[in-house]
Amino acid sequence: MKAAGVKTGEPIWEALVKCSGGIYVKRDFRWYEVLSRLMRDLVHETSTRVEYYSIDEFFFQAEGRGERSFQDLAEMMRDRIWDRMGIPVTVGIARTRTLAKLISDAAKPHGALAVMGKEAEDAYRADKPVTEITGIAGRRAARLAPWGIASCLDLARADRRLVRKLLTASGETLWWELNGEPVQAIHSKRPAHKALSRGGSFGESTAEPVVLYAWLVRNLERLIEELRFHQVAAGRLTVVVRYKSGLTGAGVAAPAVPSDRFDVLLETARPCLRRAWMRGEPATHMHLIAENLASRGQCAPGLFDPPAQRVQAEAVARVKERINDRHGRFSLRSAATLYLPAIYRDVANAYDICDVRGKICF
Amino acid sequence: MCVGIALAWSELPTELIRRHNLERRVHERGGEREVRFLYRDRQPRLPIWRDGRLQIVRWGNGRVQSRLLPPTGWTWQATVEEGYWRNLDAVLVDIPASLGFERGVWFRIRQGIRGVLVPDEHGVAVVYMICEPSSHYYQIMTRSTRMPILIDERI
Repeated sequence: MKAAGVKTGEPIWEALVKCSGGIYVKRDFRWYEVLSRLMRDLVHETSTRVEYYSIDEFFFQAEGRGERSFQDLAEMMRDRIWDRMGIPVTVGIARTRTLAKLISDAAKPHGALAVMGKEAEDAYRADKPVTEITGIAGRRAARLAPWGIASCLDLARADRRLVRKLLTASGETLWWELNGEPVQAIHSKRPAHKALSRGGSFGESTAEPVVLYAWLVRNLERLIEELRFHQVAAGRLTVVVRYKSGLTGAGVAAPAVPSDRFDVLLETARPCLRRAWMRGEPATHMHLIAENLASRGQCAPGLFDPPAQRVQAEAVARVKERINDRHGRFSLRSAATLYLPAIYRDVANAYDICDVRGKICF
Repeated sequence: MCVGIALAWSELPTELIRRHNLERRVHERGGEREVRFLYRDRQPRLPIWRDGRLQIVRWGNGRVQSRLLPPTGWTWQATVEEGYWRNLDAVLVDIPASLGFERGVWFRIRQGIRGVLVPDEHGVAVVYMICEPSSHYYQIMTRSTRMPILIDERI
């Protein structure tokens, strides 16, 4: 379908015009995770340092051995994944992460390319627009355009101080990387989260307050699962609601002390939803974001939180966890979510891409 | 309404292919051969599993070969539950399929589709696909308000 010009995220009716024989498959993130982890293990066989960047992207430290060139390594890795898993992948090897990503994009589909050295890199940098670089999108590209910086090569040859002025320190990082200086590390373990969030599209827009509240509770239950997994408590909650009209509503609140308790966080999130809510406007998306994360063991108990209530809430949370571990996710859930029967009936909603843990990128 | 299904060529026994002249229904997709059963075909047929045997039977009564059976190829799940088909000696069957086709969209099917098999007044076996109101996903995908009942699967 890619060969026919179908792009990622393109609606089916538009894709149909380009590729009438395409097959449409419903998402299955559990299966994608199995494949993703298998692929990561295969990459590990040839490199000791692998970063689980996203569900289908990995960065690895290319290690040349004996007679084997980097080009041989790239081809071997691509062929090994194809032979053992039947998945066509593209492998790019270069002096830095940013260059490797550019080169792997140039080698698509199912290519393997190692490009080392400034002159060879220039050929790939010259014809690629700056927006091909991860971290430079429309707004940043517009800031560069008046200075005649349109391609990756333009950016690499631009004055470093100018790039820093236009794109801040993160832009300067990209400038070094484009010039072959590796400044972005390969993280073999995911750094601790600064924020955790759960949410997404409703599928079907809704203006019903009870349905919106049901979504808030669903997203909160998912968020609490994640907080408990990482053993952190939320110091601040943000509820963002996006509407069909293009408008966005948001509400922010903080519990008295950082918490991962359902009752406390629901009481915090409820007024946030009230602030984000626009009467009569059909909403399409909701996001619940936990910030100011504090390590769970280091949170002081609230002054006005009766110890008996705290113990009881913790006991309920544990029972809920155990039942859901044994009988399946969301087997025991808040009755407020009963307004979303179709969502819980569809098993595809039981596991989302954000539930695949350990990757750096969403 | 799902107006067609496809089954991999390798899923069908050679004897069945020969007997029902299925070669004319063969198409190639991505280098793999598949047999397409479309309702718009001059002889609409569907494969079914009955009593542990794979058979090819007539799909619905679109050309009104029977005066007894409804002139369509689909039936609602609610109609089946109300007992309409019981009086016609119908039995439930499975329609194996790897792909379904609706409004120009081919979609993956893991096992197959539920159907009812019924004899017409001439004793010819006729299969109807069982439908239900579309799920939101199916409606977005195909823009159709009804979807086939898939076996152990919900899309």
